[in-house]
Amino acid sequence: MVLLVLLTLVMLLGLLVTRQGRLPGLPKFAVTGLHRNLSLLAVVFVLIHVLTAVYDGYVRIPLTSAVIPLTSSYERVWLGLGAVAFDLMLAVIATSLLRRHLSRKVWRGVHLLAYVSWPVAWVHSYFSSKDLQHGILFVLALACLLAVVAGVIWRLASAARDVPRAERVNLLMAAVHHRSAAHDRGSRERTAAR
Amino acid sequence: MTTVTEPTMTELPRLLPAAQDGNQVQDLRAHLARYGRLPYRDRMGTLIHDIEAAGLTGRGGAAFPVHRKLAAVYEASDRRRRPPVVIANGAESEPASDKDATLLWLAPHLVLDGLQLVAEAVGADTAILYSHADRSNDVGRRLRNAVAEREAATLDRVPVQLAEAPPRFLAGQETALINHLSGRPSVPRFVPPRVTERGYNGAPTLVQNVETLAHLALIARRGPRWFRAVGTRDEPGSMLATIRRAEGQPRITEVPLGMPLKELTGDVRPDQAVLLGGYHGTWISGQQAATLTLDNATLGSAGARVGAGIVITLPADRCGLVETANAVRYLALESAGQCGPCLNGLPRIAAAFAELARGRAGPQTREDLERWCGLVAGRGACHHPDGTANLVRSALITFAAEADRHARGRCSATNTGANPGASSTPFLPIPRTTARTEDDWT
Repeated sequence: MVLLVLLTLVMLLGLLVTRQGRLPGLPKFAVTGLHRNLSLLAVVFVLIHVLTAVYDGYVRIPLTSAVIPLTSSYERVWLGLGAVAFDLMLAVIATSLLRRHLSRKVWRGVHLLAYVSWPVAWVHSYFSSKDLQHGILFVLALACLLAVVAGVIWRLASAARDVPRAERVNLLMAAVHHRSAAHDRGSRERTAAR
Repeated sequence: MTTVTEPTMTELPRLLPAAQDGNQVQDLRAHLARYGRLPYRDRMGTLIHDIEAAGLTGRGGAAFPVHRKLAAVYEASDRRRRPPVVIANGAESEPASDKDATLLWLAPHLVLDGLQLVAEAVGADTAILYSHADRSNDVGRRLRNAVAEREAATLDRVPVQLAEAPPRFLAGQETALINHLSGRPSVPRFVPPRVTERGYNGAPTLVQNVETLAHLALIARRGPRWFRAVGTRDEPGSMLATIRRAEGQPRITEVPLGMPLKELTGDVRPDQAVLLGGYHGTWISGQQAATLTLDNATLGSAGARVGAGIVITLPADRCGLVETANAVRYLALESAGQCGPCLNGLPRIAAAFAELARGRAGPQTREDLERWCGLVAGRGACHHPDGTANLVRSALITFAAEADRHARGRCSATNTGANPGASSTPFLPIPRTTARTEDDWT
């Protein structure tokens, strides 16, 4: 559950970073830093989650099932989705760590897989655990889902509001011109009043 | 068989038709009669040593040593086993300049010779001439005719493609040019990779100003010693200059580097102003202009550069603040709108400068302008914010007394005292077209 919340935060911050957004009291680079550090923390949690599930004696899950989908006899489909989410996440993390050596296109293409990984991880956690399907944990799982959906909608809406590059300068020129014209009027009126 | 008249070592003009020929366009026959055959070397690379010995630098404004670019492209093409591309850059987008358009109109074959020679020197398989088509004359038609003449005479070893630049200030910027030729909007991109490494279609690309190529074509014929017979030791050769002193058409002239500036500005009062290098250039006072020479070594002491050879003397009845305000507004509108400091900073600087010109500036305006110039300079993918900041800063210094006068509601240019800066048409030429949509950049 901690992991789901953590991954949700990583997703939301990632969405914010794509729009060069800011958090109150934080400079832009800190938002990027937070996104990066939380995702690395999430990787640690994912590894703990995988290893404890495999080595816990409660049910037998082979280590290979953590990376190869549909190989576990226990909760075959839902654990398989977990493996898919895990693999995608590894790809995203690996390309980000090697980003200096990759073209922006390649890195971005792989990074977009995060939008696949997160929903798959959500489905995996929701259906392979009976605990998440009711009570306070259910509310939390639903809240995570709603938060990411809302984040994606915000991301798309904000991109749609973008001013095309070629029109930006004209818009800004009009804005400063308007302001200085207003300033002019103000000073003329002040002079007239004197 | 035509006989080539041997010019004396220091005879000018070298590139443009001689004065006694008037402004006669040099067609292929006239061109070959004057300069002789195109001296192909039949070996890659050998021209590079001659260019190094001549000390030829880029005439587009940056004065970068030509042999170093040639060597960089040659080396990159060798290392990557990829034939390079050579591009003649005639996209002279500086509104105050007209020397490249004039050169292409009067002596296109010299430029095309230079393009062939650099293509041979670096082993290029593609040659492009990039220019505006109709800034003053119908340069586009002139170039099409010239290329056809050469095809008929089977002169060119690498076929030349002609490409037209959009009417944007940044069109001639090296990476913007590559973007445009690749079918993208003509906006600069971040370097690295340098275009000498990855330019047109990802190939190592040589981009040289058209005047540079014309000089190169003559160095190939007459040798480095001939080239160095004029100019200074460190900045040899001659250059085309655009001279503006009064309203109307500018005068294009070829001058040796190191020439006293006052020969170009004419008689200038100490309190008059001279603009060197165009709208990314530097205002200096008439007093400074009287002692400086046209070379980077001395102009550097006044914070100015030779640039692309634009020398503008501001007439006494014109206001430097108003003229600068017009230019800065134009520059702000020509921002590609990609980099934050340029996109946000230039409109604000333009608005504040306009207030200064109209005599409506607050007590803080000049300080604000200084501060904003510091904030935008050096923070773009290209030098557009730097050049604009340079113009504004030099204007604040050169027109400091004028700004004081405007603050008191006076102007030395109009002498009306009532409405400073309410002037007629601008003296500095400002293109009327501004970009509104992406189409205006392609």
